[in-house]
Amino acid sequence: MTGVVLWYLNRATGITSLVLMTLTVVLGTVVRRHGRIPGLPRFAVQGLHRNVGLLSALLLVTHVGTAIVDSYVDIGVSSSFVPFVAGYRPFAVGLGTLAVDLLLLVLVTSLLRNHLPLRLWKAVHLTSYLLWPLAFVHGITAGTDLGGGWLLVLVIGCAAAATWASLAALAARRNTPPSAERAAAAVTVTSDAFSTGTPVRVFRNG
Amino acid sequence: MTAMTAPSLTRGLLDGPGPSFGDHVVVDGPLPVVDLHTLVQEAALMGRGGAGFPTATKLRSVAAAAASTRRAPVVVANGSEGEPAAAKDATLLLLAPHLVFDGLALVAGSLGATTAYLAADPALLPALSAHLADRSDPVGVRLHPVAYAFLSGEESALCAAIDGKPALPRTKFPPVRERGVGGRPTLVLNVETLARLALVARGSTLAAASMLVTRRMEIGGTPWVDVVDVPLGTPVGDVLRLDDAQAVLIGGYAGTWVEAAEAAQLRLDRDSLAPAGAALGAGVLAALPADRCGLAETARVVGHLAGESAGQCGPCLNGLPRIAAALELLARPLTPPSGLLRDVKRWSGLLPGRGACSHPDATVRLVASTLRVFSDELARHRAGRCRGRSARPFLPVPGRPQ
Repeated sequence: MTGVVLWYLNRATGITSLVLMTLTVVLGTVVRRHGRIPGLPRFAVQGLHRNVGLLSALLLVTHVGTAIVDSYVDIGVSSSFVPFVAGYRPFAVGLGTLAVDLLLLVLVTSLLRNHLPLRLWKAVHLTSYLLWPLAFVHGITAGTDLGGGWLLVLVIGCAAAATWASLAALAARRNTPPSAERAAAAVTVTSDAFSTGTPVRVFRNG
Repeated sequence: MTAMTAPSLTRGLLDGPGPSFGDHVVVDGPLPVVDLHTLVQEAALMGRGGAGFPTATKLRSVAAAAASTRRAPVVVANGSEGEPAAAKDATLLLLAPHLVFDGLALVAGSLGATTAYLAADPALLPALSAHLADRSDPVGVRLHPVAYAFLSGEESALCAAIDGKPALPRTKFPPVRERGVGGRPTLVLNVETLARLALVARGSTLAAASMLVTRRMEIGGTPWVDVVDVPLGTPVGDVLRLDDAQAVLIGGYAGTWVEAAEAAQLRLDRDSLAPAGAALGAGVLAALPADRCGLAETARVVGHLAGESAGQCGPCLNGLPRIAAALELLARPLTPPSGLLRDVKRWSGLLPGRGACSHPDATVRLVASTLRVFSDELARHRAGRCRGRSARPFLPVPGRPQ
C-alpha cells in the first residue's frame, strides 16, 4: 500500500516540479527582457520567478525523498547526488540527478547573490538552460506512465513553452543595442515620436 | 623684496610663473612631510569634482578599507572633465601640473598606496608625461587617457575604464572607496582637490577656502570664457558681469538656473547656495545673455545629457529622452500639446534616486530650475513669441557623431 502511495507521490511531485520549472524559466526570460505581465508591476514578476523557482525546488525534495524511500526501485541516497550510479534505470535517473545538482547550485548562488560576484552568479544561473532539458529528458525516460493522453500533452506543452521563451529571450538580446548606443538611439527615436505625435516605445536597458 | 625661498601663502592655483618643475620648486618649495589626515580635517577641504564630498571623510574610509582588507589602496587623480561647459581641470593641468602631482604624492604616501593614476583628456597627456619625467616620486604616476563623455569622470566609471572595462557607472555598493581599481580600495580625487592639498600641506590657509570657476559670459556681445581662482563666499555678482544677463547657470550642466538679480547677491559657498537650490558643482558659472532663449539653451543641453546616459538603468534611458523631447517642443514659440508641461513635471518626479549614478537626478534638477526661472518665457512661447534674438548658441554642446 505504502509503495503505491510513494509511487503516486513521486510521480505527482516530479510532474508538478517540471511544470513549475518550466514556469520559472518562462518567468526568468520575462525578467531578463524587462517584460511585463498584465496586472503585475515589474518587481512582482521578479518575485514570482523567485518564488515559483523555490516551490519547484521544494517539490523536488519530496520527489527525490520518495524515490529513495520507495523500496520498489533501487535508488539510494548517494545516487540522488552522484549521477549514473542508481540501480534502477541508471541513465534516466542519472539525468535527473544531474538536474538536481545543477538546481542546487542555481538555488544556493541565487540565495547568496548579494555576496557573490555578479558574473559568477550569472554564469551559474545560465546553466538553467541546461538544467531544464535534463529534467525534461529525465521525465520522459524515467517515467513509467507516459503512454499518451493528458500527461503527454502537458509535457509537450512544457517543452513548447520553454523553447518559445528561450528563443524570445535570445532574440530580445540580439535586438538590444550595446549600452553605449542605447541612449543616443533613444533620444533620436523619442524626439521623432514627439514631433510627429506618435506614441513613444519603451527602450530596454539589457 | 623677499627672496622666493619660502612658499607663498597667498599663492592662487593658477598664478605660478610657469608649469615647469623648476618654476614649481622655486615658488612652492619642496613637498613637506605632514600628517595629512589631521591637516585635511582642519582645513575642512571639500572635493572639487562636483559632489563637494568632504575629502577628510574619503581619506579616512579608504584608509580604513585598506586596513581591513590588508590591500594597498590605489589613488586616482580625476582630471576627466566630461562637462562641456567646464575647463578648470584642463586649465589647472596645463598651468600647474606639479601641484596635482604633489597632491597625488601626498595622498599616496599617507595611504601607503603603491599605484597612482592621473586620468585626463588624451590631448593633455604628452605634456603631463614630460612633466612627470622631471619628478622622482616614490610612487610612479600612470597616465590614463579618458574618453570624452559626460559620465567618464564618474568615479566608478573611471575605475572600470582604468581596469580596461567599459566606462560605465555601477551601483554604489560596494563603494569605490572599498573596491575600485583592480578590486582594491581606491581614492578618487578631483585634480583641483589634489592641487589644493599640495598648497594646504605647505601651510596655505587660503588654498582650501578658494575654488576654481569656469566663467562663461558675453561682454558687449563677445563670448568670454576663462578660469579664475575665487575665494569661497564671493558674491556671484563680483565674479560675473551681469549687466546684460537674464539668468546664471550655477554649477554647470548638473547645476541649476538662478535669475540674474537673485544670483548677483548669492555667495559662492555651499551654505549660501543651498537655499537657492544651487550648489558649486563642477565650478561653472554661466551668465545667460538677455538676447537668448533660456528654454532653447537648456533644451539643447538636456538633449545632450539624455544622449550621454549610460543606457544601463531603465528610468534614465526612458525618462531623459522623453523630457528632452518635451523640452525641445516647449522651446519652440508655439502652443505645446496640452498636458506636455504636466508630463515633464510628472516624469521628472519619477527619476530621482532610481539610477546607479546621479545623472538622472542632476538632469531633472536642471530641468526643474529651467521651468521655474524661465516661466515667463514659457508663457511668451505659448503666445507665439520668443526672446531669442541671437542664432549663436551660448552653452556649448559637443556634436554627437552620427
